Amino acid sequence: MSATKQIRATAKQLLALSLEDGQLSETKVRAVLAWFEQKPPAHAAATLREYHRLVLHEVSRSRARIEFAGTLASGAVASIITELSRIYHRPISATTIENPALIAGVRVSIGDDVFERSVAGQLEKLATTTA
Amino acid sequence: MLATLPILLASADVHEAVEHAASGGLVEQFGLSLNYIVMQVISFAILAFVLYRWGIKPVLATMDERQHKIESGLKYAEEMKAKLEQANQQSEEILRKSAVEAQAIVNDARKTAKELADRQTQDTAAQTAAMLAKAQQAIELERGKMLAEVRGEIARLVTLTAGKVLTKELSPEEKSRYTQTATRELTGV
Repeated sequence: MSATKQIRATAKQLLALSLEDGQLSETKVRAVLAWFEQKPPAHAAATLREYHRLVLHEVSRSRARIEFAGTLASGAVASIITELSRIYHRPISATTIENPALIAGVRVSIGDDVFERSVAGQLEKLATTTA
Repeated sequence: MLATLPILLASADVHEAVEHAASGGLVEQFGLSLNYIVMQVISFAILAFVLYRWGIKPVLATMDERQHKIESGLKYAEEMKAKLEQANQQSEEILRKSAVEAQAIVNDARKTAKELADRQTQDTAAQTAAMLAKAQQAIELERGKMLAEVRGEIARLVTLTAGKVLTKELSPEEKSRYTQTATRELTGV
Protein backbone atom coordinates (compact mmCIF):
# COMPACT_ATOMS: atom_id res chain seq x y z
CA MET A 1 0.00 0.00 0.00
CA SER A 2 1.40 3.38 -0.93
CA ALA A 3 1.90 6.11 1.68
CA THR A 4 -0.96 8.21 0.31
CA LYS A 5 -3.41 5.31 0.46
CA GLN A 6 -2.26 4.46 3.99
CA ILE A 7 -2.74 8.08 5.09
CA ARG A 8 -6.25 8.21 3.63
CA ALA A 9 -7.20 4.87 5.19
CA THR A 10 -5.94 5.96 8.63
CA ALA A 11 -7.75 9.31 8.38
CA LYS A 12 -10.99 7.55 7.42
CA GLN A 13 -10.65 5.19 10.38
CA LEU A 14 -10.07 8.14 12.70
CA LEU A 15 -13.14 9.90 11.25
CA ALA A 16 -15.22 6.76 11.81
CA LEU A 17 -14.06 6.73 15.43
CA SER A 18 -15.11 10.39 15.70
CA LEU A 19 -18.76 9.70 14.87
CA GLU A 20 -21.48 8.96 17.37
CA ASP A 21 -24.82 7.82 15.96
CA GLY A 22 -23.64 8.96 12.57
CA GLN A 23 -22.93 12.45 13.85
CA LEU A 24 -19.60 14.08 14.51
CA SER A 25 -19.01 14.11 18.25
CA GLU A 26 -16.82 16.76 19.78
CA THR A 27 -15.93 14.41 22.66
CA LYS A 28 -14.83 11.68 20.33
CA VAL A 29 -12.85 14.12 18.19
CA ARG A 30 -10.99 15.25 21.30
CA ALA A 31 -10.34 11.63 22.25
CA VAL A 32 -8.97 10.92 18.80
CA LEU A 33 -6.69 13.96 18.98
CA ALA A 34 -5.48 12.88 22.43
CA TRP A 35 -4.67 9.43 21.10
CA PHE A 36 -2.96 11.10 18.17
CA GLU A 37 -0.71 13.05 20.56
CA GLN A 38 0.16 9.97 22.58
CA LYS A 39 0.79 7.57 19.73
CA PRO A 40 1.36 9.46 16.55
CA PRO A 41 1.11 7.11 13.52
CA ALA A 42 3.45 7.03 10.57
CA HIS A 43 3.16 10.17 8.43
CA ALA A 44 1.54 11.94 11.38
CA ALA A 45 1.40 15.41 9.85
CA ALA A 46 -0.12 14.25 6.56
CA THR A 47 -2.58 11.99 8.37
CA LEU A 48 -3.64 14.86 10.60
CA ARG A 49 -4.19 17.14 7.60
CA GLU A 50 -6.31 14.49 5.90
CA TYR A 51 -8.29 13.92 9.12
CA HIS A 52 -8.84 17.68 9.38
CA ARG A 53 -10.12 17.82 5.81
CA LEU A 54 -12.52 14.92 6.44
CA VAL A 55 -13.78 16.53 9.68
CA LEU A 56 -14.41 19.84 7.88
CA HIS A 57 -16.25 17.99 5.14
CA GLU A 58 -18.32 16.13 7.71
CA VAL A 59 -19.11 19.40 9.49
CA SER A 60 -20.14 21.04 6.22
CA ARG A 61 -22.45 18.10 5.52
CA SER A 62 -24.33 18.86 8.72
CA ARG A 63 -24.15 22.64 8.60
CA ALA A 64 -26.21 24.67 6.14
CA ARG A 65 -25.29 28.16 4.99
CA ILE A 66 -28.40 30.23 4.28
CA GLU A 67 -27.79 33.40 2.27
CA PHE A 68 -30.65 35.80 1.69
CA ALA A 69 -31.51 39.25 0.35
CA GLY A 70 -34.25 41.32 1.82
CA THR A 71 -35.74 39.93 5.03
CA LEU A 72 -36.39 36.38 6.08
CA ALA A 73 -39.78 35.65 7.49
CA SER A 74 -39.94 34.42 11.05
CA GLY A 75 -39.74 30.65 11.12
CA ALA A 76 -38.23 30.48 7.64
CA VAL A 77 -34.86 29.30 8.93
CA ALA A 78 -36.50 26.63 11.05
CA SER A 79 -38.56 25.45 8.09
CA ILE A 80 -35.45 25.21 5.93
CA ILE A 81 -33.56 23.27 8.64
CA THR A 82 -36.47 20.87 9.05
CA GLU A 83 -36.67 20.27 5.31
CA LEU A 84 -32.90 19.71 5.02
CA SER A 85 -32.94 17.28 7.96
CA ARG A 86 -35.72 15.40 6.23
CA ILE A 87 -33.76 15.28 2.97
CA TYR A 88 -30.39 14.27 4.47
CA HIS A 89 -31.78 12.12 7.30
CA ARG A 90 -29.60 13.79 9.91
CA PRO A 91 -29.78 16.84 12.20
CA ILE A 92 -28.73 19.97 10.35
CA SER A 93 -27.56 23.22 11.87
CA ALA A 94 -27.58 26.48 9.94
CA THR A 95 -25.94 29.88 9.77
CA THR A 96 -27.68 32.82 8.10
CA ILE A 97 -25.85 35.49 6.10
CA GLU A 98 -27.40 38.47 4.35
CA ASN A 99 -26.07 38.77 0.82
CA PRO A 100 -27.35 41.77 -1.19
CA ALA A 101 -25.70 40.39 -4.33
CA LEU A 102 -28.58 37.92 -4.54
CA ILE A 103 -30.92 40.95 -5.19
CA ALA A 104 -33.83 38.92 -3.79
CA GLY A 105 -34.43 35.32 -2.68
CA VAL A 106 -32.35 32.70 -0.81
CA ARG A 107 -29.39 30.41 -1.49
CA VAL A 108 -28.81 27.40 0.75
CA SER A 109 -25.47 25.59 0.64
CA ILE A 110 -24.85 22.32 2.46
CA GLY A 111 -21.80 20.23 1.71
CA ASP A 112 -21.42 20.22 -2.03
CA ASP A 113 -25.14 20.86 -2.65
CA VAL A 114 -26.56 24.30 -3.43
CA PHE A 115 -30.28 25.18 -3.48
CA GLU A 116 -30.65 28.40 -5.43
CA ARG A 117 -33.85 30.47 -5.33
CA SER A 118 -32.57 33.99 -5.95
CA VAL A 119 -32.89 36.65 -8.65
CA ALA A 120 -29.11 36.67 -9.12
CA GLY A 121 -29.16 32.91 -9.59
CA GLN A 122 -31.98 33.16 -12.11
CA LEU A 123 -30.09 35.84 -14.06
CA GLU A 124 -26.91 33.75 -13.99
CA LYS A 125 -28.84 30.73 -15.24
CA LEU A 126 -30.39 32.86 -17.97
CA ALA A 127 -26.96 34.12 -19.03
CA THR A 128 -25.59 30.58 -19.11
CA THR A 129 -28.44 29.20 -21.22
CA THR A 130 -28.37 32.19 -23.59
CA ALA A 131 -24.60 32.09 -24.19
CA MET B 1 71.32 0.81 -169.43
CA LEU B 2 74.23 0.72 -167.07
CA ALA B 3 71.82 0.63 -164.13
CA THR B 4 70.19 -2.63 -165.25
CA LEU B 5 73.50 -4.42 -165.83
CA PRO B 6 74.01 -5.77 -162.16
CA ILE B 7 70.50 -7.15 -162.12
CA LEU B 8 71.10 -9.03 -165.33
CA LEU B 9 74.37 -10.40 -164.01
CA ALA B 10 72.72 -11.65 -160.78
CA SER B 11 69.91 -13.36 -162.61
CA ALA B 12 72.48 -15.08 -164.72
CA ASP B 13 74.21 -16.44 -161.57
CA VAL B 14 70.97 -17.71 -160.11
CA HIS B 15 70.05 -19.40 -163.27
CA GLU B 16 73.42 -21.10 -163.34
CA ALA B 17 73.05 -22.29 -159.70
CA VAL B 18 69.60 -23.75 -160.37
CA GLU B 19 70.85 -25.63 -163.25
CA HIS B 20 73.76 -26.93 -161.23
CA ALA B 21 71.44 -28.14 -158.45
CA ALA B 22 69.19 -29.84 -160.83
CA SER B 23 72.03 -31.61 -162.40
CA GLY B 24 72.67 -33.61 -159.04
CA GLY B 25 73.37 -33.87 -155.13
CA LEU B 26 71.25 -31.21 -153.57
CA VAL B 27 71.64 -32.86 -150.12
CA GLU B 28 75.31 -32.99 -150.53
CA GLN B 29 75.40 -29.45 -151.73
CA PHE B 30 73.65 -28.23 -148.50
CA GLY B 31 75.77 -30.52 -146.24
CA LEU B 32 72.70 -32.26 -144.75
CA SER B 33 73.24 -35.41 -142.67
CA LEU B 34 70.77 -37.67 -140.89
CA ASN B 35 72.91 -37.89 -137.80
CA TYR B 36 73.10 -34.21 -137.53
CA ILE B 37 69.38 -33.93 -137.91
CA VAL B 38 68.73 -36.55 -135.17
CA MET B 39 71.17 -34.82 -132.84
CA GLN B 40 69.52 -31.53 -133.60
CA VAL B 41 66.09 -33.04 -132.79
CA ILE B 42 67.37 -34.51 -129.48
CA SER B 43 69.05 -31.25 -128.54
CA PHE B 44 65.90 -29.37 -129.36
CA ALA B 45 63.85 -31.84 -127.26
CA ILE B 46 66.20 -31.47 -124.32
CA LEU B 47 66.16 -27.71 -124.67
CA ALA B 48 62.39 -27.73 -124.99
CA PHE B 49 62.08 -29.96 -121.91
CA VAL B 50 64.42 -27.77 -119.88
CA LEU B 51 62.68 -24.61 -120.99
CA TYR B 52 59.28 -26.08 -120.27
CA ARG B 53 60.29 -27.61 -116.95
CA TRP B 54 62.14 -24.67 -115.45
CA GLY B 55 61.08 -21.77 -117.57
CA ILE B 56 57.63 -21.98 -119.05
CA LYS B 57 55.95 -24.08 -116.36
CA PRO B 58 56.87 -21.81 -113.41
CA VAL B 59 55.88 -18.82 -115.46
CA LEU B 60 52.56 -20.43 -116.30
CA ALA B 61 52.11 -21.40 -112.66
CA THR B 62 52.87 -17.87 -111.58
CA MET B 63 50.52 -16.52 -114.22
CA ASP B 64 47.80 -18.96 -113.10
CA GLU B 65 48.38 -17.99 -109.49
CA ARG B 66 48.18 -14.33 -110.35
CA GLN B 67 45.11 -14.92 -112.41
CA HIS B 68 43.60 -16.81 -109.53
CA LYS B 69 44.53 -14.01 -107.15
CA ILE B 70 43.04 -11.45 -109.47
CA GLU B 71 39.88 -13.49 -109.79
CA SER B 72 39.77 -13.94 -106.02
CA GLY B 73 40.29 -10.22 -105.56
CA LEU B 74 37.54 -9.43 -108.02
CA LYS B 75 35.27 -11.96 -106.37
CA TYR B 76 36.13 -10.56 -102.94
CA ALA B 77 35.47 -7.06 -104.23
CA GLU B 78 32.12 -8.20 -105.59
CA GLU B 79 31.29 -9.85 -102.28
CA MET B 80 32.38 -6.76 -100.42
CA LYS B 81 30.28 -4.64 -102.69
CA ALA B 82 27.31 -6.93 -102.07
CA LYS B 83 27.98 -6.90 -98.34
CA LEU B 84 28.35 -3.14 -98.39
CA GLU B 85 25.07 -2.89 -100.22
CA GLN B 86 23.49 -5.24 -97.71
CA ALA B 87 25.05 -3.30 -94.83
CA ASN B 88 23.69 -0.08 -96.31
CA GLN B 89 20.28 -1.64 -96.59
CA GLN B 90 20.51 -2.95 -93.04
CA SER B 91 21.66 0.41 -91.72
CA GLU B 92 18.84 2.11 -93.59
CA GLU B 93 16.42 -0.41 -92.14
CA ILE B 94 17.86 0.12 -88.67
CA LEU B 95 17.65 3.87 -89.12
CA ARG B 96 14.07 3.56 -90.32
CA LYS B 97 13.17 1.34 -87.35
CA SER B 98 15.01 3.67 -85.00
CA ALA B 99 13.12 6.62 -86.43
CA VAL B 100 9.83 4.76 -85.94
CA GLU B 101 10.78 3.77 -82.40
CA ALA B 102 11.99 7.29 -81.64
CA GLN B 103 8.70 8.67 -82.92
CA ALA B 104 6.81 6.15 -80.78
CA ILE B 105 8.89 7.10 -77.74
CA VAL B 106 8.29 10.78 -78.40
CA ASN B 107 4.56 10.12 -78.75
CA ASP B 108 4.55 8.11 -75.51
CA ALA B 109 6.50 10.83 -73.76
CA ARG B 110 4.06 13.46 -74.99
CA LYS B 111 1.13 11.32 -73.91
CA THR B 112 2.68 10.67 -70.50
CA ALA B 113 3.53 14.33 -70.06
CA LYS B 114 -0.02 15.30 -70.98
CA GLU B 115 -1.46 12.75 -68.56
CA LEU B 116 0.91 13.93 -65.84
CA ALA B 117 0.00 17.53 -66.49
CA ASP B 118 -3.71 16.66 -66.43
CA ARG B 119 -3.28 14.68 -63.22
CA GLN B 120 -1.31 17.51 -61.65
CA THR B 121 -3.98 19.94 -62.73
CA GLN B 122 -6.66 17.73 -61.21
CA ASP B 123 -4.62 17.26 -58.02
CA THR B 124 -4.02 20.96 -57.78
CA ALA B 125 -7.71 21.63 -58.32
CA ALA B 126 -8.62 19.06 -55.66
CA GLN B 127 -6.07 20.47 -53.24
CA THR B 128 -7.31 23.97 -53.92
CA ALA B 129 -10.90 22.85 -53.36
CA ALA B 130 -9.90 21.06 -50.14
CA MET B 131 -8.01 24.12 -48.94
CA LEU B 132 -10.97 26.32 -49.80
CA ALA B 133 -13.33 23.96 -47.98
CA LYS B 134 -11.00 23.85 -44.98
CA ALA B 135 -10.66 27.61 -45.00
CA GLN B 136 -14.43 27.94 -45.30
CA GLN B 137 -14.85 25.52 -42.41
CA ALA B 138 -12.30 27.42 -40.34
CA ILE B 139 -14.07 30.68 -41.15
CA GLU B 140 -17.40 29.14 -40.16
CA LEU B 141 -15.91 27.80 -36.94
CA GLU B 142 -14.32 31.14 -36.18
CA ARG B 143 -17.57 32.90 -37.03
CA GLY B 144 -19.53 30.54 -34.77
CA LYS B 145 -17.01 30.99 -32.00
CA MET B 146 -17.14 34.77 -32.40
CA LEU B 147 -20.93 34.72 -32.44
CA ALA B 148 -20.97 32.56 -29.31
CA GLU B 149 -18.56 34.93 -27.62
CA VAL B 150 -20.63 37.94 -28.67
CA ARG B 151 -23.82 36.19 -27.58
CA GLY B 152 -22.27 35.30 -24.23
CA GLU B 153 -20.96 38.82 -23.77
CA ILE B 154 -24.35 40.30 -24.66
CA ALA B 155 -26.08 37.88 -22.28
CA ARG B 156 -23.61 38.76 -19.54
CA LEU B 157 -24.16 42.48 -20.14
CA VAL B 158 -27.93 42.04 -20.26
CA THR B 159 -28.05 40.04 -17.05
CA LEU B 160 -25.62 42.46 -15.41
CA THR B 161 -27.76 45.40 -16.45
CA ALA B 162 -30.92 43.57 -15.43
CA GLY B 163 -29.36 42.80 -12.05
CA LYS B 164 -28.41 46.44 -11.54
CA VAL B 165 -31.85 47.63 -12.62
CA LEU B 166 -33.56 45.09 -10.39
CA THR B 167 -31.32 46.02 -7.47
CA LYS B 168 -32.30 49.64 -7.90
CA GLU B 169 -35.91 49.21 -8.81
CA LEU B 170 -37.01 46.46 -6.42
CA SER B 171 -38.25 47.87 -3.15
CA PRO B 172 -37.32 46.20 0.13
CA GLU B 173 -40.89 44.90 0.42
CA GLU B 174 -40.73 43.31 -2.98
CA LYS B 175 -37.39 41.73 -2.16
CA SER B 176 -38.78 40.36 1.10
CA ARG B 177 -41.85 39.05 -0.65
CA TYR B 178 -39.69 37.33 -3.26
CA THR B 179 -37.50 35.86 -0.51
CA GLN B 180 -40.49 34.50 1.34
CA THR B 181 -41.80 32.96 -1.85
CA ALA B 182 -38.41 31.40 -2.49
CA THR B 183 -38.32 30.03 1.05
CA ARG B 184 -41.72 28.47 0.58
CA GLU B 185 -40.55 26.87 -2.65
CA LEU B 186 -37.50 25.47 -0.90
CA THR B 187 -39.43 24.05 2.04
CA GLY B 188 -42.23 22.83 -0.19
CA VAL B 189 -44.86 24.61 1.90
